[in-house]
Amino acid sequence: MGSCRYKLLGLALLALFLVTVVAGCGGGAPATKEGEKPAAKPIRVGVIDTYTGPATTYTMDALDGFKLALKEVNEKGVLGTKIEFLQRDEQFKVDVAQNWAKELVMRENVDLLAGTINSAAALAVSEFAKENKVPFLVWGAMSEKITGAAGHRYVFSMLPNTAMSGRAGAVQMSKMPYTKYWLAGSDYEYGHSIINNFWDNLKRLKPDVQKLGETWWRVGEPDFTPYINAIRAAKPEVLVVGTGGADMVPFLKAVKATGLSKDVQVWVHTATDLSTLRPLGAEAPEGVLGTNPYHYYYPDTPENKAFVEAFRKEYNREPAAFALYGYLAGKFIAAAYEKAGAVDREKFIDALEGLTIDSPVGKVTVRKEDHQVVMPMFFGKTAKDPNLPYLVAKDITALSGTEIMPPIEEIMKKREGK
Amino acid sequence: MPGAPARQKTARCPRSIGEDAGDMDLSAIGSQLLVGLSRSMILFIISSGLSLVLGVLRVPNFAHGSLYMLGAFTAFTVATALGGGPGGFWWAVALAPLVVAGICLLVERGLLQAIYHREHLMQMLLTYALVLIFSDLVKLIWGVEYKSLMPPPALTGAFTFLGTSFPRYSLFLLIVGPLVAVALWLFLNRTRLGKICRATATDREMVDALGINSKWVFAAVFVLGGWLAGLGGVFMAPTVNIVLGMDHSIIISAFLIVVVGGLGNVWGALVSALIFGVGESFGVLFWPRFAIVFPFLIAAVLLIIRPSGLLKSVW
Amino acid sequence: MRPQPVRPTVEKDATLKRSALLPVAAAFLVLLVLPSFIPSYYVYLFTLIYITALLATSLNFCLGYGGLLQLHHAVFYGLGAYTVAITAVRTSLPLWCGLLLGPLVAAAIGWVMGWFCVRLRGLYFGMLMLALGQLVWTVVYRWYEFTGGDDGIHGLSMPPLIDSLTGCYYLTLVVFFVCLGIMYLMVNSPFGVTLQATRDNPVRSESIGINIRRHQLASFVIAAFFAGVAGVLFVVLERSVSPALLFWSKSAEVLIMCLLGGMSTFLGPSLGAAAVVVLSTVIGIHTEYWLIVLGVILLVLVLFLPQGILGYLEERIGSGRGLKGASEDYVEG
Repeated sequence: MGSCRYKLLGLALLALFLVTVVAGCGGGAPATKEGEKPAAKPIRVGVIDTYTGPATTYTMDALDGFKLALKEVNEKGVLGTKIEFLQRDEQFKVDVAQNWAKELVMRENVDLLAGTINSAAALAVSEFAKENKVPFLVWGAMSEKITGAAGHRYVFSMLPNTAMSGRAGAVQMSKMPYTKYWLAGSDYEYGHSIINNFWDNLKRLKPDVQKLGETWWRVGEPDFTPYINAIRAAKPEVLVVGTGGADMVPFLKAVKATGLSKDVQVWVHTATDLSTLRPLGAEAPEGVLGTNPYHYYYPDTPENKAFVEAFRKEYNREPAAFALYGYLAGKFIAAAYEKAGAVDREKFIDALEGLTIDSPVGKVTVRKEDHQVVMPMFFGKTAKDPNLPYLVAKDITALSGTEIMPPIEEIMKKREGK
Repeated sequence: MPGAPARQKTARCPRSIGEDAGDMDLSAIGSQLLVGLSRSMILFIISSGLSLVLGVLRVPNFAHGSLYMLGAFTAFTVATALGGGPGGFWWAVALAPLVVAGICLLVERGLLQAIYHREHLMQMLLTYALVLIFSDLVKLIWGVEYKSLMPPPALTGAFTFLGTSFPRYSLFLLIVGPLVAVALWLFLNRTRLGKICRATATDREMVDALGINSKWVFAAVFVLGGWLAGLGGVFMAPTVNIVLGMDHSIIISAFLIVVVGGLGNVWGALVSALIFGVGESFGVLFWPRFAIVFPFLIAAVLLIIRPSGLLKSVW
Repeated sequence: MRPQPVRPTVEKDATLKRSALLPVAAAFLVLLVLPSFIPSYYVYLFTLIYITALLATSLNFCLGYGGLLQLHHAVFYGLGAYTVAITAVRTSLPLWCGLLLGPLVAAAIGWVMGWFCVRLRGLYFGMLMLALGQLVWTVVYRWYEFTGGDDGIHGLSMPPLIDSLTGCYYLTLVVFFVCLGIMYLMVNSPFGVTLQATRDNPVRSESIGINIRRHQLASFVIAAFFAGVAGVLFVVLERSVSPALLFWSKSAEVLIMCLLGGMSTFLGPSLGAAAVVVLSTVIGIHTEYWLIVLGVILLVLVLFLPQGILGYLEERIGSGRGLKGASEDYVEG
């Protein structure tokens, strides 16, 4: 080991380091003043999302849906120009997301921000968007705070949040004869929010329901058997579960392994989502109730078929729910700019407020008051399909968006209370 | 803070598992014990490999979790490549750890052998570099979609034990874990290589002086460690979601188990794996909201009480 | 026996003492006028670099100078940041109270943790720290009513003087220089020299009556204090906190910064921090595979350039100046 080799390699490393730094600084276009741009310049969307770690299965779907929407709208053009996007990986880290938000707005001078599945990052970027008056379209994070208590003029949610999902489950469950409930979920914001909304709404719709108990497990729980055994011992009629994406697969496996769904009715939000059922294959338990905003096989409309066909052609797979969110975001952006008639952030927001577009799941509206997208929710039951290697949702009931939205007064009260 | 009022509602829940524990009958405790033991077995299989490497090579291998992840992903590929049939799992058990062991051989010969004489911090950072590289490589090779591996039909479903149902697969783990431990014991005490390993762990200079080529001993031990990590990954795969980032969830636990057990002492790893697994599962029973702190709490308390591990460290 | 790890030495720093004053003053002046000449994003990036550099330097204080295998330093960074945020939303105290409390809370909790940790040696020390640090992370992650749980706390408002990006830049710049100055003086003080003696030769140090544990604990607490300062500055810049700030992978990132710049030099960690911040941004713009790039850089560093960039440069320029000296491995258990 001569020190000569060390020196050489050290120098090589230094050189690499300097080159990248120089390239980075040189590549940065000087920030120009924000405001109206000549229409010939493309509209630029800054996408910040997690492309590292377990959540990537959802974020890639969202991005692919968004890209598909851009491809479609750019064929005709928007205001005589095109929509472009810049993609940044925030690695599920809030501080990284904040760095990217600043980089995209200050250095790349994007017209609007979109993305992230990370609720904490979405809330942080949302504050930045408010301060800098940049529209921010959330297409991954489901926290009800985003358009609820922490909502403001510059933030929009392109997907049903936890408030809508929890309420949707309650709407349908209240029509069933069950009264003895056990509540459970992942012990983090998402789980609690789903369950709180579910239970509040259920009690309102059906005052005679009874809560036998609650169970909260940690995120990333490796074994659900002990929890399931304890719940089963209390003999509830229904087990209501709010558990996050990556935990769905082991949870459903445990339901199957313990045979829980045979003697307790289980409702889990997103239990019928393709992202969960496809990897599980034949291992998924049958007869589990679930709500999900999108299934590629339902509704059986020409619009949905066209979307699925286009998505399949582009990416060689079926779209799951997150693909729809990204797709909706792309369509909403284009429609709002068309309506605004100019590439201007304030006009864009005015146009997007209350905007309705056609989508694969029917008419979808951005609610004017709180900027939450209003879309239907589909309640179904997992069942085998003879033509597919994985389970699908059957006996689907569509719950309309208006049925499941939290009332505006409630949201405004929360915003004031903050 | 927004959301806080809503949360207080759930905090005042009428009954929870924890409060229920008083009138919980023996069967619940028994089944919880079985669950805890089966989890201990997985933890032992994974951390015994880490412990061996620490004992003989003296390298704190942060990439051990990545090897476990590779084992799980390879198991998925092997099982799917063979049509996903009932035999797929057994083929995965046979092949996936070998693939991981092969990768370990490359890593050991190519990288690790260059840093045996260096301080722990450098060794940790080098293996952490491997963690970063493997995590992105797995994404490049296997994509981002969740993966799931089916246990063989004989091991699916549950049986009833003392009135509560208990997954067959957990019982399988309860049998496999001790088998691995016994095999490891036989290897370390009855084979020549095993004896050399133990000797190297205790007194490396002496082994060198006896003219034994420790280079290949090191390689063999690292490969064995990787094989065990891969085996842990395969056995874990049917119960979990095979997903990017699964290495992060196991590595800290594995390290704490090994250190608490006594550096490099495989039997210490067995004892502390049992404490961790059973402790965690009873934590869930009696104090569910704080079950997540248990591994760290157990480790911190044990390390404070016994600053150099439960059993004698080989260092 | 393992060869002596590359570690900073006293003599070298002492010779730098006087001659370094002028360049430092010049650098300060240049950085002072910098915001007028660069676009606002780069002002932000520089601010982020100062904060990260302060964090990395504080780690090196107990890692490089104290010889402690501190594997979870980010805990104190997060604690400093959370103190500010929690003071702002949970109490009626004015914000500056939180800003002052942040480092003190970090140091106080550092003292408690350190009190347990310094009883252990080598890898055991590192692992106990890791366990305790993850314990703190869990509490922050779980205690919704107090810390905001996994969602964190966002949208804090800052006093008018440091509300703007440039205001924040100047605050951070001044605090950064002051803190580094204090740490530099500490390293070269009798305390710092004794600390390095306990690192290089604990047996001999003990035999001449030095209380090793007390010195190690002191360096641990001082490092925690300055990490807390960095955490406070982070909140001033970003106005939000989240549990990721004190997750163990953040600590690994800071360790990499120390290694990249060079643990044998006082300014190495700052250079490493700047390099990681800039590289992660530049490379992240082009690819989502930043981690694999970081992994390869780390691999090259450990194998070929363990003394880091600045350590290497110093070695070349001042070659032959004492870095060698045989003594016991500082982390041997």
